[in-house]
Amino acid sequence: MTALPFFSPVAADGAAGLLAALGIGVAFGWSLERAGLGSARKLAAQFYLTDLAVFRVMFTAIVTAALGVFWLSWLGVLDLAQVYVPPTFLLPQAVGGIVFGAGMVAGGLCPGTGCVAAATGRKDGAAVVAGMLAGVFVFSEVFPLVRRFYERTPRGALTFPALLNLPYGVVLFALVALALGGFAGADRVERRARRLAAGGG
Amino acid sequence: MMPIPRISRKHALAGCAGVLGVLALVAGEPNRGTGATVDVDRLAAIVQAEQDHVTALELAQWIRDWKPGLRVIDVRGADDFAAYHLPTAENFSVTQLTRARFRADETVVLYSEGGTHAAQGWFFLRAKGLERVFFLREGLYEWATQIVEPRLPDDASPQAKARWPEQAALSRYFGGSPRVGGTAQTVDDPTAALPRASHDDAGGELPRPASGEASASTAAVARIRARGC
Repeated sequence: MTALPFFSPVAADGAAGLLAALGIGVAFGWSLERAGLGSARKLAAQFYLTDLAVFRVMFTAIVTAALGVFWLSWLGVLDLAQVYVPPTFLLPQAVGGIVFGAGMVAGGLCPGTGCVAAATGRKDGAAVVAGMLAGVFVFSEVFPLVRRFYERTPRGALTFPALLNLPYGVVLFALVALALGGFAGADRVERRARRLAAGGG
Repeated sequence: MMPIPRISRKHALAGCAGVLGVLALVAGEPNRGTGATVDVDRLAAIVQAEQDHVTALELAQWIRDWKPGLRVIDVRGADDFAAYHLPTAENFSVTQLTRARFRADETVVLYSEGGTHAAQGWFFLRAKGLERVFFLREGLYEWATQIVEPRLPDDASPQAKARWPEQAALSRYFGGSPRVGGTAQTVDDPTAALPRASHDDAGGELPRPASGEASASTAAVARIRARGC
């Protein structure tokens, strides 16, 4: 019998799920703060290529989670069938990504880092969280009007192994290689960007 | 002697990730629970040919004759199972069923109150690749009317009369009470005279028989009848 996940998405034990989510959320927030991502300047530096900490932190989280899911499942500790994969809706999610990106550029923070910034007393973080909650409220209110668009181009619960018809291990190896290559390249990119910035005055 | 280069923590972690990533190439597929692939055309053909179920008479014969490799699985709740179950039956919930292991040479017969859950369980087991799996056509309801309290009405069909001796013998073997006479609204199938209800979907608690009032099987049949009728 597998020990994970802590709660089943098909079973009615919501309290356990919420508790697990709270614990993971706090740990994630703590990690983001430790990496300095509670500052909008840090996130802005990502786009000027002078500080790629966001890339490093997020890709590290992705690779750690992917390796953990694969190996825990391989060892029989985690039941992959019980892990929820959000369904893909191509067009509405592309539009949602643009809206998300616009909000991130305007606020300098994403939802997770916005919460971290707010929790550490930054006013811009509190403003981002307030805007996020307002957006959730407005979206909920107008959902009946946008529902048809929201449900367009459904592609089901897509995963890379299924989409590319490749073994899980090959996709994981490619992801790890991409991350390690990216980490190695990030240092060079930062040095070059700083040199250019310094040279440009 | 060459000094041993000091490895930073981030390089050590990157090395671990790299090693785990390379090992993933040869580790094979992770445990995906009990995922399965279904040949829906083949399953549809089996259902169309009515090779997916057994009748109560067939199952009773298999149990009486100790059919080799037979496993009778009750997919109702543990309380219902404790109150009454078929001889030799084992209790598996539907979720336990999908994770249970059966040998390829075993003949698995599933039953539930009316048949819906058993039919769904049949699909799950077929999807997992088990070939010799059936469900009891109308579940305990059919067992009650065909084995526990079978009746041969006066206006029964010749086919029903022809199979009656075997049916009555089976009924007595399992402690049932075969009856002859009375009227039936059908001449062919005694169960057709009984209302068809969605037994599996019946909600709420049903009154339990007082202890000593009736035998467990009679009480269970009464409960099934109460739901069905």
